[in-house]
Amino acid sequence: MNDADRMSDAELHALTGAYALNALDEQEAAAFARHLTSCEACTQEVGELQATAVRLARAVAETPPPEMRRRVMAAVGEAQQIPAPPGTVVPLRPRPRPYALPYLAAAACLVVAAAGGGLALQARHQADQQRAAAARAQAQTTRLAALMSAPDATLKAGAVRGGGTATLVASRRLNQAALVYHGLGELTGGRVYEMWYSVNGSMVPAGLLADGHLDGATLLTGGLQGAAAVGVTVERAGGSPKPTTTPILLLPVST
Amino acid sequence: MRAATDGGPSPAPGPGALEPLLQRVAGGDEGAFDSVYHAVAGSVFGLVRRVLRDSAQSEEVAQEVLIEVWRTAARFDPAKASAMAWIHTLAHRRAVDRVRSSQASADRDHRVGLRDRTPAFDEVSEQVEHRMEREQVRRCLDSLTEIQREAVTIAYYRGRTYRETAELLDVALGTVKTRMREGLIRLRDCLGVTA
Repeated sequence: MNDADRMSDAELHALTGAYALNALDEQEAAAFARHLTSCEACTQEVGELQATAVRLARAVAETPPPEMRRRVMAAVGEAQQIPAPPGTVVPLRPRPRPYALPYLAAAACLVVAAAGGGLALQARHQADQQRAAAARAQAQTTRLAALMSAPDATLKAGAVRGGGTATLVASRRLNQAALVYHGLGELTGGRVYEMWYSVNGSMVPAGLLADGHLDGATLLTGGLQGAAAVGVTVERAGGSPKPTTTPILLLPVST
Repeated sequence: MRAATDGGPSPAPGPGALEPLLQRVAGGDEGAFDSVYHAVAGSVFGLVRRVLRDSAQSEEVAQEVLIEVWRTAARFDPAKASAMAWIHTLAHRRAVDRVRSSQASADRDHRVGLRDRTPAFDEVSEQVEHRMEREQVRRCLDSLTEIQREAVTIAYYRGRTYRETAELLDVALGTVKTRMREGLIRLRDCLGVTA
C-alpha cells in the first residue's frame, strides 16, 4: 500500500491538477486512475483540466521537420493496429460535453502542422516564387484549418479509382470545402487531377489538386453553395472547363 | 473570466472534425490519419520539444506518439475525452516518460539553475501563425498567482513531478498540488475551456 491508497477522497480530489499535468509519480497516478473510475466529479474535472493543458500545448506548437511526416506515414503503412477492447466498440456519438474548439486556435495549430506537410512543399522553386507560394500555401492552410474546425464540418471519405483515398471536408456555414488526399496514382504527360462541384447535374470547375503532389490537402475554389457532390477527374495539363473523363471520385456533400 | 471576454468572441462550441476522423483511423483509414497528422503534428512536436529540449529526441518521441495514435485509435473513447485531449495527453506522457528515465541516472539539474531558466513560456518561438492563441494563453497565465503559474508551467513544460516542482519552488507538497489544481482551474475559466 502506498501513500495514494491511504488518501481520503478529499485529498485525492486535490490531485486532479497534478494528474492532468502528469505530475504524479507512477504509483500515485495508478492509484488516482483507480479512484477516477468511481468518482464522476473528478473524471469531469480531469477532463476539463486535460483540455486546458491542450491549450498550453497548442501555444507552443512548432513546425515539425518535413521528414517527420514521411517517416510517420511510412511507419503507419507497416504498423499493426490494436483492436478495440472486446465489448467496447463504440459507435460515434456526440460527446456529452462538446469540446469548444476555438477557431483561431485550431487554425493556428493546423497552420503550423501543415507548414511541415504537403502544402508548404508547393514552394520549391526560385526564391521569389518560393515566397509567393509559401504565402499562398499559408493563406490556404489558414482557411483549411478554419474549415476543419467549423462546428458543422462534415467528412466523407472514398477510395479513388486508380489508387489512393480522399476525404471531403465541407462546411455549409463557411460555404467551403476541401479535399484531403493520400496515395493518389502518379499522372503522366502533364495530366492533372481536377476537382468539380456537381450542381444541379452539371459539373462546375473547383480547381486543381496541387501539382505533382499525391498526398496533401487542397481547398476547392468557389463556394459550396448548391453543390450536391464533389468529384475529381483526370484532365490534360492546365485543367479543363468541363470534365472530359469519367470521375475517379465522387463524394456526396451532406446537406 | 477576464480574457474569455477580451480574447474575442468564442465560436459556438461543437464537436470538431477530429473525433470522426479518429474513428476512421481506427478502421485502418490512412487518409484519415493523414488529416489527423495535419491537425496535431505541430502541437505534438512543439510540446514534446518543450519538455525534452532536444530536437532529435523530440522528433523521435513525436513520431512515436503519432504512430501510437494510429495503432491505438480504437481505444479512443469520445465519451471520455476530446480527440485533442487524448492525443496531447499521450504526447505529454511519452515526453515525460522519456525525460524522467533519462534523468533517473544522471542527476540532472542544478536546482538553482533550473529556476533561473524558468521563462518556461517566454521562449516560445515567435510564429505569426499562432500568435493569437499564444497571446491568449499568455494573458491567462498572467492572471495566475506566481506560484500557480510556476507550478503549472514547470510540471507541464518541463515534465517535473509535483515533488520536484515543490522542491524547486521551495513550497510544501500539499501546497504545490493545490496550486496546480487552482492554476489549471483558473486557466480553464480564463480560456473558456469546457472539456
